[in-house]
Amino acid sequence: MLKARRLGALLAALVLGPGGVAAQAPWRSITIDERLAAAAGLTVGDRAVLATGAGAPGDSVIVAGITRRGADPSEIARSEFRVRLHLDHLQALTGVGDRVGRFAVATAPAAASVDSAAARINALAFGFRAYRAADVAIETSATFRVVNRFHRAIGVITIVASAIFLLCITLLKVDERRRDVGALRLLGISRGTIVRAVVLEAALISVVGSLMGAALGYGASALVNWHYQGVYSTPLRFAIVTPGIVAFATLLSLTLGVVAGLLAAQRLVRQPPLELVGR
Amino acid sequence: MSDTRPSRRSEELVLSARDVRRDYPVAGEPVHAVRGISLDIARGEYVALVGPSGCGKSTLLNLLGAIDRPTSGTITIAGRDISSLSDAEATRFRLTGIGFVFQRFYLMPTLTAAENVQLPMAEAKVPRAEREARTEELLGYVGLAGRSEHRPYQLSGGEQQRVAIARALANRPALLLADEPTGELDARTGAEMIEMFARLNADGATLVVVTHDEELAKAARRVVHLRDGVVVDDAGRAAP
Repeated sequence: MLKARRLGALLAALVLGPGGVAAQAPWRSITIDERLAAAAGLTVGDRAVLATGAGAPGDSVIVAGITRRGADPSEIARSEFRVRLHLDHLQALTGVGDRVGRFAVATAPAAASVDSAAARINALAFGFRAYRAADVAIETSATFRVVNRFHRAIGVITIVASAIFLLCITLLKVDERRRDVGALRLLGISRGTIVRAVVLEAALISVVGSLMGAALGYGASALVNWHYQGVYSTPLRFAIVTPGIVAFATLLSLTLGVVAGLLAAQRLVRQPPLELVGR
Repeated sequence: MSDTRPSRRSEELVLSARDVRRDYPVAGEPVHAVRGISLDIARGEYVALVGPSGCGKSTLLNLLGAIDRPTSGTITIAGRDISSLSDAEATRFRLTGIGFVFQRFYLMPTLTAAENVQLPMAEAKVPRAEREARTEELLGYVGLAGRSEHRPYQLSGGEQQRVAIARALANRPALLLADEPTGELDARTGAEMIEMFARLNADGATLVVVTHDEELAKAARRVVHLRDGVVVDDAGRAAP
């Protein structure tokens, strides 16, 4: 059985199946990414023909491995497939010898520093330009840094709006208890005790609320990740809830709750108790 | 029940008010709610303050309870002049020196009956074991021993008022003040409350009750009639 699968980018066609392919020995091995494996129904050990275009002569290859894509946000929207093969094989297949655009060099831990390695590469020939992986990452993630700043701005606006909302709600909720507070004052409960009780309650509500919010956020992020990792076939995590975020949210919520409770309670206990009970 | 007694009954004065006045500024003009009232109440007395609406009886009760301050005059309760206390001092005095029973009970809705009774004792730093024992005793005294874990909404009006009485007695006050204690109760429950006050007085409590309820006023040994901010009659006053 012979069937064809269309590939994008560099290699235009991958012809699959054991029959109809001119036998070549030894078979070269390739690796394909998960997305291609899923689309073409390939598994490790399958044989295929790798060609530069539909109908073009190709090489018989064997799938030696299936790779998982890195969590690179710049790749999630691309629908391309990825095939890895040895450099000489690629050159032979494409019919062009020295056409490598970029390659990566891993430095051993005991080797010379990355900077000296880059300097040596740059000195090899005119036109070579070596970059540190970190610099490449920064350069390619510029767009995401802008998006990140935008998200931070939304976060700050949300926090400010929430703080105002929380303050208003706390003032209203505490004010609803004006009769109880007035009765307590009439009975001889001190202002300090009432303020402490209100602040303690506000603090408890804040901590419990923020922990519930963190749990909800954790569940929602898991759902978002599950959905979009499936949509884009990527291990990239689209939403994350880290312990640092939970700690920040809890601390912020606690601070806001205590301040709101303090303001609301102080506002109430300054009024005469008879006024509070409506007499 | 000996423990509900604030102290031994005697002719010792618990309350002494001298020429007490209370003016309120209303629209720039002073309104004279209380106009120079003098009143002595001995330990163990049961006094009803009666009079038409607006005669100043609730204002007088607020002054006697250190809730409000007189414009002039002095009020001494259990030997302490309360007419010029600071807010914090007056609050502390209300906690330990006075027991209040209000028309609308003013129980904390989120607390149980026992917790409501314990509240003034907790504020007064009474040790937990002692306040639990006293709460049990007081709830038993007002006939609510089996309802200590009920919250106010689970209690009838009469039961809520009895919890309020137990709460008022918690810190063994020198004086028990009640403002229209039967005002929110039906006739039968009101009658039970009148019996309760009579029993309290018989057990040694000094009571001052503001009321429109004729039955409650009749139960008092002494009835002070007020009109336009002055005492017009003081029936049953002990001879000096």
